[in-house]
Amino acid sequence: MSLSLAAAQILTGLTFGMLYFLIAVGLSIILGVMNVVNLAHGSMFVLGAYMAYSFIGTGLNFWTALILSLIISGVIGAIIERVLLTRAYGKPLEQALLTFGLAFVMADVMKWIWGTSLYRINTPTLFNFSIDLGTVSFPAYRLFIVVVGIIIAIILWYMESKTRIGAIVRAGVDDREMVSALGINVRAVFTGVFVFGAVIAALGGVLGGPVLGMYPGLDFSVLVTSLIVVVIGGLGSWKGSFVAAIMVGLIETIGNIWFPALSMFLIFLVMILVLMIKPSGLFGRGEIT
Amino acid sequence: MSLLTVKGVSKSFGKLEILKQVDLDVQPEERHVIIGPNGAGKTTLFNCITGVLPIDAGQVVMDGHDLTSLPPYQRAKHGLSRTFQKNNLFLELTVEKNVALAVLSRKGYRHNMFRPLESYSDVFEEAHQLLDEWGLLDRKDLLVNQLSYGEQRLLEILLALALKPRLLLLDEPTSGMSPAETQQTIQFIRRLPRSVALLVVEHDMDVVFAIADRITVLHHGQVFASGTPEEVKGNAQVTEIYFGGGALKDA
Amino acid sequence: MKKTALYALLLLVITLILPLFLSSYGIFLTTEIYIMAVFAMSLGLIMGYAGLVSLGHAAFFGIGAYTVAILGDYVGNTYVLLICAILLSALIAFISGYFFIRVSQFYFLMITLAFGQLLYALIWQLKPITGGADGRSVSPVLNFGWGNLLDPVHIYYVTAVLFVLVYFILRLFVHSPLGQTIKGVMENESRMKMLGYNADAYKLVAYTFSGAVAGVAGAIYAYYNVFVSPELVAWLFSGQVLVMVIVGGMGTLLGPAVGAGFFVLLQNYMSTYTERWMLIMGIIFIFFVIVGRGGLIHLVMAIWERIKPGHKRSAKKEINQSESGGIT
Repeated sequence: MSLSLAAAQILTGLTFGMLYFLIAVGLSIILGVMNVVNLAHGSMFVLGAYMAYSFIGTGLNFWTALILSLIISGVIGAIIERVLLTRAYGKPLEQALLTFGLAFVMADVMKWIWGTSLYRINTPTLFNFSIDLGTVSFPAYRLFIVVVGIIIAIILWYMESKTRIGAIVRAGVDDREMVSALGINVRAVFTGVFVFGAVIAALGGVLGGPVLGMYPGLDFSVLVTSLIVVVIGGLGSWKGSFVAAIMVGLIETIGNIWFPALSMFLIFLVMILVLMIKPSGLFGRGEIT
Repeated sequence: MSLLTVKGVSKSFGKLEILKQVDLDVQPEERHVIIGPNGAGKTTLFNCITGVLPIDAGQVVMDGHDLTSLPPYQRAKHGLSRTFQKNNLFLELTVEKNVALAVLSRKGYRHNMFRPLESYSDVFEEAHQLLDEWGLLDRKDLLVNQLSYGEQRLLEILLALALKPRLLLLDEPTSGMSPAETQQTIQFIRRLPRSVALLVVEHDMDVVFAIADRITVLHHGQVFASGTPEEVKGNAQVTEIYFGGGALKDA
Repeated sequence: MKKTALYALLLLVITLILPLFLSSYGIFLTTEIYIMAVFAMSLGLIMGYAGLVSLGHAAFFGIGAYTVAILGDYVGNTYVLLICAILLSALIAFISGYFFIRVSQFYFLMITLAFGQLLYALIWQLKPITGGADGRSVSPVLNFGWGNLLDPVHIYYVTAVLFVLVYFILRLFVHSPLGQTIKGVMENESRMKMLGYNADAYKLVAYTFSGAVAGVAGAIYAYYNVFVSPELVAWLFSGQVLVMVIVGGMGTLLGPAVGAGFFVLLQNYMSTYTERWMLIMGIIFIFFVIVGRGGLIHLVMAIWERIKPGHKRSAKKEINQSESGGIT
């Protein structure tokens, strides 16, 4: 394997890693702050992509479609949180089951609206060129995804460590009772966090649209990948998700070269290994129950 | 030889040192009470002795067997049994079933999977006898969450006792009880056969002096003093840090 | 007790003569209900009696089915195939459970889902053996030593016997000292540890046992359907069986079986009218999660209690049981 080919592979791995990060980070934060496993997370991802696709179909450009899709996803997220999840506050397992039922509903609704064909969002013209890497070339759009992933990570880092919202969310993760004792509206924080998770998921979906496409069943393969990322990274730690997502992206891409049939198996094996060595995940602070 | 020996046990949570080099022993037949202000590390010590928490340093030895690296369920097999400061019962099961589960733990047929538990009458006979001794027999068909708090507190002790332990650890057995219930519980504890050694954490000084052969004072995670009730009472320093200011009752 | 025996006898008679009154489609459907009931009971066992909620239970059903399909090319003996299916699904449940059970409930939920998908991907990719995405046919024929059982009515009776057998074995199991201990672990794990019980080992026993039961359901399904496909291990199928358990009623043995019957009937009925079956199923599922932990069996019992005043006690007891088996 030539050096430039290797570089291209690593970049591909990074692209997928960043996509997985965008998928998993919302799940991870919702889990950490609200103690909810959102099993409809993959559905939010695919829905975001479908919506952007349809907006583009009406003649809007990629970026407008992206923003519209994010706004609607946020509204849907707020509705899910307020209407469904509030009914089972304090019962994490029931909340997980509710989102599981929701995943069924959303999968069927999406099939209803968009059918069963494979769609792909066209790469935005701004990034529709390739970067020359000697013998191989690398699509600029993928580099763009890597950059967006890093930007999101920086924003998260900044929000967590430098802002009041971050302090509240951080405290919410560590000590729910204390936050409510401080007179902070925990419900508003929860809704906000859930909306944030939904928007980030949709962002991943739209940005991933030109790479992954959209089809029935993608919602659950996306969900499974993000669950694995969250388990490896550690419950509720977005930093863990960041590292784990890149790990998974690289393992998958490199695994695809060496053992194409077994890349999923490889990722699973990594997860089992991590669980054996550190049951709370790479960056986990112990188990949330 | 002592029944239980705790040697140099230390435990920290992050930078917070809860236990520092604690040495403690319980002699056979002894009733040993640990007292100390809140945050002295009493419950943590219990958790370390029973294996709920791994210890950072030291040793826990029971009757010559080193328990230090054993999980809680294996320590129970060595005759170590405990109650919890907060009731820790099977709330959705009947009182009878609660005790039966504890009694069953000692039975050789506990892994049988082809005969109903109900058909093993000896488990229930034993359970009934225990319930009778502790005045709870008429409650046997109630779910635990239907019992009064005091009754639940008694059941908490009863479950631990059903294991027929050689050493029973009681974590604030009378906390939250009414004065009458406390008196009753003291009588129950005093009536226990001497073959069961006791290690008790207790705040209520009436209870402490009613049952203790020996008292150990834990302070800031260290053993501050240890001796007979009279010796501890007479220790000026203990009086100062612990009994001082007339806070004898609620210290 | 006498009355229970009477009802059991009545049920038995109905089961025996039912095929006389059913169309061939009805027989086919009822057979499927029996198989799904066994599968649902296996998940109901770990959910309602061991507190383990799995999102990948179809894995063991699929292992049982594929064992019969693949091994059936080389071995014809029904007993050998069934035993292999049971052993293999139990073994894989044991090994995977060994890693999964030590972690918290959330992790368990996520890892079982991932594990199911892993198996799905594996079957998809091992095309030469499994037939890949296209699935493969099942060649062996049910034969318990008195001739080939090919007639749908024969298979109906086989699945009916299986259902009754599994029900009584599970009944024995949950009431046995071992089963009661496992339930104790679900109710209060930390206390059970203090009482000298190795909590994780007990959960693992339940998980392994449940995997074996799911495996036998899958094995019989392979005979019944004479075709297996990766859908048998997919998340959708795992989700469906979870729906059966929740809708039927967790914490009872028969609840999941009732849920299976409800589910299969509704699915067949609905699919003649609408393609939006998954949507309807999802809504029903959400409804039952929000409204009733007791599920359908709770409802049936409540109605039963109304009609039969003499049975107040036993009905109440059942309901109590179902409530105490709630999700915690």
